[in-house]
Amino acid sequence: MRALRVLAATLILIPVAAAQPQPPRGNSTAQAPRTSPAARTAPAAADELQKAVEEFRVQATRLGLTEGPATAQRRDTKGKSRWHGRLFENLRNDFLDAVPHEVAQRGGSKNILRRNQFGFNVSGPVLIPKLYDGGRATFFTFTYEGMREKIGRSSLRTIATTAERTGDWSATVDSAGAALPIYDPQTTAPNPGYDPGQDVSTSNLEYNRVPFAGNVIPASRLDRAAQSAMALYPTPNSDAGPFFRNNYFVFTPEINSANGIIARVDHTAGERHRIGSGVNFSNGQDGASPLFLNEANPGAPVRSRRNRRAFVEHIFTLSPQRINTFTVDAYSSQLENLPEAGSESVFPAYLFSPYLGMGRSTTVLKNARNQFIVSNGHSIRWKQHRVRLNGRFIREQVNIYAPAYPEGMFRFGAGLTSLPGINNTGHAFASFLLGQAEYAEKSVVLSPSYFRRSRFNFGFADTWEIRKGLVFSVSVGLEVSEPRKEKYDRQSTVSFAALNPANNRPGALIVAGVNGQGRAFQPFVTRGEPSAGLTWNPFGAAKTVVRLGYGRSYSAIPIYSVQWGTQAFNGSPTWVAANPQLQPALTLAQGLPESPRTFPDLRPDSANNTVADLIEPRGIQPTYQSFSLSFERELPGAFLFTLGLGHAGGRNLLLGSGSSNPNAIPLSALEYGVQLNDENFNRSVRPFPQYQRFDVYASWPEGRYQRDACSLRVEKRASSGLALSASYEFSKQMDNYSGPYGIQDYYNRANEKAITAGSNPHAFTVTYSYELPMGPNRLLFPLTDWRRYLVEGWSLSGVTTIVSGEPLALRPQFNNTGRVVDTLHVNVVPGADPHVSSRSPELWFNPAAFAQPADFTLGDASRTHPTLRGPGAQNHDLSVNKRISLSLEKSVEFSMVGLNFVNHANWSDPDTMIGPASAPNVNAGRIIGSRGGRVIQLGLRFSF
Amino acid sequence: MRVPFQAPGEPALKPEEVKITLNGKAARVVRLLAPGSDLFLLLVLDLSGDLTLVDPARQALLKRLAALPGNVRVALMRAQDGLRPALDPGAPRAALTAAIESLATSPRPGLLDSLENAQMLADSIAARAHVRVAALFISDSNVLNYQEDYSNPVVNSSDSGDMSRRFPEGLINEKIRQIKARMRHGESPLYLVHLQYLSDRLNTAYQTGLQELLRSSGGSAEYCRSLADIPNSVDRACDAILQAQYTAEVEMAPGKNGTVDLVVIAEGRTIHSRPRRQFSEKGR
Repeated sequence: MRALRVLAATLILIPVAAAQPQPPRGNSTAQAPRTSPAARTAPAAADELQKAVEEFRVQATRLGLTEGPATAQRRDTKGKSRWHGRLFENLRNDFLDAVPHEVAQRGGSKNILRRNQFGFNVSGPVLIPKLYDGGRATFFTFTYEGMREKIGRSSLRTIATTAERTGDWSATVDSAGAALPIYDPQTTAPNPGYDPGQDVSTSNLEYNRVPFAGNVIPASRLDRAAQSAMALYPTPNSDAGPFFRNNYFVFTPEINSANGIIARVDHTAGERHRIGSGVNFSNGQDGASPLFLNEANPGAPVRSRRNRRAFVEHIFTLSPQRINTFTVDAYSSQLENLPEAGSESVFPAYLFSPYLGMGRSTTVLKNARNQFIVSNGHSIRWKQHRVRLNGRFIREQVNIYAPAYPEGMFRFGAGLTSLPGINNTGHAFASFLLGQAEYAEKSVVLSPSYFRRSRFNFGFADTWEIRKGLVFSVSVGLEVSEPRKEKYDRQSTVSFAALNPANNRPGALIVAGVNGQGRAFQPFVTRGEPSAGLTWNPFGAAKTVVRLGYGRSYSAIPIYSVQWGTQAFNGSPTWVAANPQLQPALTLAQGLPESPRTFPDLRPDSANNTVADLIEPRGIQPTYQSFSLSFERELPGAFLFTLGLGHAGGRNLLLGSGSSNPNAIPLSALEYGVQLNDENFNRSVRPFPQYQRFDVYASWPEGRYQRDACSLRVEKRASSGLALSASYEFSKQMDNYSGPYGIQDYYNRANEKAITAGSNPHAFTVTYSYELPMGPNRLLFPLTDWRRYLVEGWSLSGVTTIVSGEPLALRPQFNNTGRVVDTLHVNVVPGADPHVSSRSPELWFNPAAFAQPADFTLGDASRTHPTLRGPGAQNHDLSVNKRISLSLEKSVEFSMVGLNFVNHANWSDPDTMIGPASAPNVNAGRIIGSRGGRVIQLGLRFSF
Repeated sequence: MRVPFQAPGEPALKPEEVKITLNGKAARVVRLLAPGSDLFLLLVLDLSGDLTLVDPARQALLKRLAALPGNVRVALMRAQDGLRPALDPGAPRAALTAAIESLATSPRPGLLDSLENAQMLADSIAARAHVRVAALFISDSNVLNYQEDYSNPVVNSSDSGDMSRRFPEGLINEKIRQIKARMRHGESPLYLVHLQYLSDRLNTAYQTGLQELLRSSGGSAEYCRSLADIPNSVDRACDAILQAQYTAEVEMAPGKNGTVDLVVIAEGRTIHSRPRRQFSEKGR
């Protein structure tokens, strides 16, 4: 009786009519006649079957089950009991975590951490008392999640020493520990004995320059603006070293918060229509721990984020063989930089690398990215074919206001305080103290940009079962992509087809909608995207599957959230030193002069002498191609074995300005030597001398990559509560662009082909879950009294990942190539083995196998080393859960999630900077410390 | 008490060949319903996705149903939007064929919400008539497509320190445990043919949980790895029900003990059964 009531309530969600006669239920054996067993195996068959059928009918009729569509007419007086959901809280506290190894190694202690993540979810039939009972027809889910976090962030940086701040460089040394001389730029004079036929060296100087007496800049020479700025620049508080480096340890809190909901409603209208709709809403604040507690903070800004999404979906089942799906989806993501706390003014940016600078870029940012998608898919099953037709329209909007340096940016180099042409002399911060900037710019952004673009996708796919055990699938996609437009045509770029009036050479600014130029700078692009696959069960073995796949695809050029390509309307006037070793672009005392341009400036030469925004005119899209072959075999014991081979490649990958430079000086110009330090000469040997260089903003289609991999995966389905999956992959990936430092030869990318930076050839992953066999009905502690609550419901889940090291990218300490080469490679020392016999953090590789290239020469090593790799890494995450059942519907689960729960320390990569023979980097080849630490989160979830 | 177990192979076991012990003591087998005896099959279709998979499953089912012996009754049901009959079990086989062919798919799977109800329905029928009763589910369900949320999607994308989704299978595991707890008194075996093996982490947890659940009911789960595997899997599930599924009715003295240590032994035969069961007067 009781069971039937439960059945009734859960099966059709109406109360059982207690007056109805109930069928017998329970221990029927007690009523069974005691006849001989043999006789009992053959009861009156027809009668018993008929009883079963009648019982089914009785249940169906009595419970109101009828064939046909789900309706909203059924009523349940206990409707809310049909709602399910959960309440949860996740807690993190520094009390639970280990001190990260990188912090412990410098004597630090735990950072403060207080984090609460909380929320609830509820789902079930829509129920509006006295108005509407959704029954089976209308279903909702609603989730709220909030997060509050205060976390201390620590950072170890290098800043000017107390003595250096006052101009005293007498104690300053280079990376080899040798004294670093600071020269007085006012004493610069041509060397009458200079021999242009010889390389510049200390014995053949092009310019003479005298060091400051005692290596101290006199107070009278210190720039007043720089001295004023020093009031906002911190003093050293750490001596981690070496050589006064890593002397600023900052520990400041970061405050983060977020609130969000996801709500969804599904409604079934009749048997054939289903309508789904939903909204997502999230507001958050990404905190940032400041590096300075004032307006000169160079750290990241605090950001406000708002995400919204709404969608409607209609699925129409026309027949068992035909289904149509129509979807409308709208998405909006908004981002805003918040002003520096306690500061009303915006500080300019002072950059004097290698020291930590002051101020930052993009102090003001407002960005909204919206996307609207309408799509329709139609699936048809016809004979042995399953055909799917897709159509999709995408409308993208990016509204962005992001002046990079509204108060100006000043960059200081070592050249002005160096002995011209001689490495390891001078310092950028010394140049800053003198107020002599080698480069400056200021952003002038009059209005936001409103970028727009539409795309259309059409697709046809067919899955054809040729015969049993052989399935062929093919698809053809067609993408039509409109180029980026600006709502008010406030776009510009450099066109190589236009002549610049300043020098009558190719390369002039063109503006959307002006002088016959269309609204966009790229054409409509139409691309076909084919793919094909074959699934074969060899020799009819259904548990053995061979899969073969091929695919070719393109990706649209993104609309980035920057005001790139609007230079005629929003410019960045720049000031560049005529020779960064001889004279400054301007001084801090002068400040930034008035911009030589007023905006908008639509003249063809208005971008001259700047870093000009360049939009690739052909609209070439990245192309991807892949092949795959896999062999799957199910083995006895619920094991699944999968062996896979894969090849993937891409070309026309979009690269940024660090990897692409259409205005690069040909490498043959290195023969000009020190002449290249002269800005006018330097510019004269560039393909487009009217521009310093081009900003292609991650959109220049020159990248290529290739990846080959084989993998092995073994899965074990649950057996005695244990499920296990292990996979191993060996791969090799090469490209012509990746890496932390950029490339050397822009004109011959074949020379840049090397192992992909960041790639791990060996990767091993194990995931597992295990329900501990404890408690009633289980192997261990089958207790049935109160102690069962202690022993039952325990489970473990874990993920272990072990990867080999990444290829090392070696770099020379100095790049004296007259800006012909942006990123110089090192030289390989012939005959020297880069590997060491006993690899350890003290010496991971042999730095003597590499050398700093001579001035105005290229390095001959590859961008990343083919065999040298950094240390491997491993990570072990574990979740321990304890479930306590409160009733059949309610339970509480405690969880403890541990990331890196064994508190394993992974070695950092070795120092890869190779200094000159005269002043080698003492840390080259050494690993300085390790990183990582156990992080624990406790969770509590109440499910109902 | 009804004890379902599987004993593949010929010939069919005789009652005297089966030894059942409850809590270590021999239990009296009141009745043994062996393969070949009457069978009432709840055939539950949970078809929510790819037509490529659905059609071979339909064809395999139709082929198998056409060859069913006369002492088998099939009640066709569908799982979407709650368990519902799609055809009266007394209808002729031709009507059953037509109903299976015309049953449309629906985008939201209903398997998880139907298991318990199907077992309770089967138990009610078995309590009324001395026939073997089993439920066979044909499903292509993906855990991500349920109305109820088991995937725990990211709510605040700006929350970079979120660790709660590192192990995403928590919600589906909880759901499976809830169902398992509610089904622990059930006496009818459930079988599943899942048309598509999915190897992502969440579906692995889902499918593993289903497999455990069905095993604990005395049934089993088959997962298809390719289209060609679908007919074979349907055949294997049907064979397990028709040719290997036994139901023994044993006497059991009423008592308060909640756990029954159940052992089924047949000399020279492989037996698949639930080794332990939950039992209580309250639960019944």
